[in-house]
Amino acid sequence: MSKLSTLAEAVVSIPSGVHVALSGFATARCAMAFAHEVIRQGTKQLTVSQCVGGMDADILVGAGAVERIVYGGGSRGRSGQHFCLNRAIEQGNLVTEEFSSLSMTFRYLAGSLGLPFIPIRSLNGSDILRELQEKTPPLVGRLQDPFTGEDWLVLKPLVPDVSVVQVQVADEEGNAWILGPRWDNEEQSKASKRTIVITEQLVSTETIRRYPERTLIHGFRVSHVVHLPFSAHPSSVYGVYDFDKEHIKIYADASKTPQGLQEYLDRYVYGVDHWGYLEQVGGMKYLDELRADPILGY
Amino acid sequence: MTTDLEYSPFELMAAAGARELKDGEIVGVGLGLPVVASFLAKRTHAPNLTILFELGVVDPEPIEMGVDGLSDPRIWYRAKIHTSFADMLGSVLHKGLVDVGFLGALEVDMYGNLNTTLLGDPKGKFRRFTGSGGGNDIASNARRTVITIRHEARKLNQAVSFITSPGYLNGGNDREKLGLLGGPSRVITDKAIFGFDPQSKKLRLEAIHPNTTLEDVLSNMSFKPIIPDDVPVTVPPTAEQIRLIREEIDPEKAYAGS
Repeated sequence: MSKLSTLAEAVVSIPSGVHVALSGFATARCAMAFAHEVIRQGTKQLTVSQCVGGMDADILVGAGAVERIVYGGGSRGRSGQHFCLNRAIEQGNLVTEEFSSLSMTFRYLAGSLGLPFIPIRSLNGSDILRELQEKTPPLVGRLQDPFTGEDWLVLKPLVPDVSVVQVQVADEEGNAWILGPRWDNEEQSKASKRTIVITEQLVSTETIRRYPERTLIHGFRVSHVVHLPFSAHPSSVYGVYDFDKEHIKIYADASKTPQGLQEYLDRYVYGVDHWGYLEQVGGMKYLDELRADPILGY
Repeated sequence: MTTDLEYSPFELMAAAGARELKDGEIVGVGLGLPVVASFLAKRTHAPNLTILFELGVVDPEPIEMGVDGLSDPRIWYRAKIHTSFADMLGSVLHKGLVDVGFLGALEVDMYGNLNTTLLGDPKGKFRRFTGSGGGNDIASNARRTVITIRHEARKLNQAVSFITSPGYLNGGNDREKLGLLGGPSRVITDKAIFGFDPQSKKLRLEAIHPNTTLEDVLSNMSFKPIIPDDVPVTVPPTAEQIRLIREEIDPEKAYAGS
C-alpha cells in the first residue's frame, strides 16, 4: 500500500502535545524539513526524544514547539553548542529529562521489545542519575537481580507516539535503508507506535525485494513516506550530500540569541515551503556542490 | 636525542595519549584530542588497535579529520563496520569488551570525576554545555579510562560542579560498590600526566612535561595532588610521531588548533 504523502500531510498527522522521536545526531541526518514544517504549522507542546541532540531538536526548541526534551546531551563539534536547547534549559523554559547515549538507546530498545523496564550499569554515581531520581512520575528505579542478588538500576522504556526518520532510500510502503552509521534510529523506529519516513530517493518495491537484508525500517510500521531531496539540509546524509558548513555557521550565529533565531525563521522557514527554503539557502547550483562522492560518502 | 625538536603542547599530549593504548586493545574514543591520539597509536605501535565511535563506526581510516566531531562523515571513512549505539555502547561497551575509554572533559576533580554538563562563569552563573552523550557510558563501563583536559585552575577542581561521568566518586572503593567497571587510569593535561593512588584513588602526579616546573603544575590546579618523591619528565613526542600528526593524521589542524 502506498503511503506517499506530502510533507504537510505527514506533519498534519501529528497533533500538538505528542511524543516525537527524531533521527538526527548533531549535524548528521537531522529531520530539518520536517522540523521547519512543524514550526510553520504551529504544532506545539511536543515531547522530543533522541540519543544525542541534533539540529532538528535545536530549531524546534528555539521556535517554541517543544515542551519537554528527553535526550542524552550533545553539541555540534566545531560549529558549537545547541544554543537554543541550552538557552531553554538554562532559562527553565523546557522540561528536561537528560540521560546518556546508551541509557537512551536502552530505553528505546526496551520499548522496541515490549519490555516493562531494562537494567543498565551506566548513570550510577552520576548527577545525571541524581537529577532523574527527582522526577515524578519516576523514570528510573532499582531492582534485585533474581539470579545473582545484585542490585541494578532499571530504566523505564520509551514508546514515542511517532518516530521521524531521515533515510537515503525508501519505497512507497516505507521499507527503507539507512546507509552509514545509524546510531539510535533502528531502535527508535521499532519502539515508536508508528514511523514517518522522509527519504532522499524513492525506489520501487521491486528494488527493496532485491536486497531485503538492507531493509532497516519496516514498511509495516510506517504511516507516511515523504520523498523530498535535501530534506536534511544543512545536516549531512551519508552517501548523498555533505553537511553545509557555511549554512550551519549562519544558523549557529543566528541561534545565539532569540532575536537572531526569529530573523532566521522569518527568512528560511515562515512564508516558504521546502523548495523555497532550498532557493533561500542558495538554490540548486549551490546545493549541487554538497553532493557526496560515492567512494568517500561525503 | 629528540630534545631539540619543536612540538606543540597538543602534539605532546597526543603522543602521551597514544602511549596509553596497547596493540590489540579496543578503544572507545570521545571527541577531540582522543581521536588524534588513537589514530597516532594505530599508525605506530598499535596497528591492531580497534577504534570505536559511539554512533556506530568501527576501525575507520580517515584521510581527513573533518571539523564537526563524531557526526562528521570524514572520520567514518574506510570503516570496517557501520552500525549503531546499541552495538557500540551496548554489545561491546556494556558487555565489558572496551579496554580503554578515551575522553575529554570541561572539568575533572581529585577522584577523576568528569563534568561536561555545567560550567560556572566568572559571574558565578552556570552555563549548560554538552552533557553526556556517550561519555557517561564509556566512563561507567570501560575497563580503564584516559582523560585529557586543559591544565587550568578552574578545570582541575577539588570537586566538580556536576558529575556527568563518574571517576572514583569520593575515593576508596566508592566506585566498585556501585558495580561500575574499571575507572580512570590517567589524566593528561598540557602540563603534566597524572595517575591515581591504588588505595585512596586520589590524583597522583606521574610526570611533568618538558619545560614545565612543579610550581607551574600546582599553581594551576585548585587542589594538591599526591606528589611522589621522584617525578620524571614526560617523554616528548618522536620526530616520526610529530610528522604523522602534522602530515598524515591532522594536516589541516582540525583538532591540533583547538
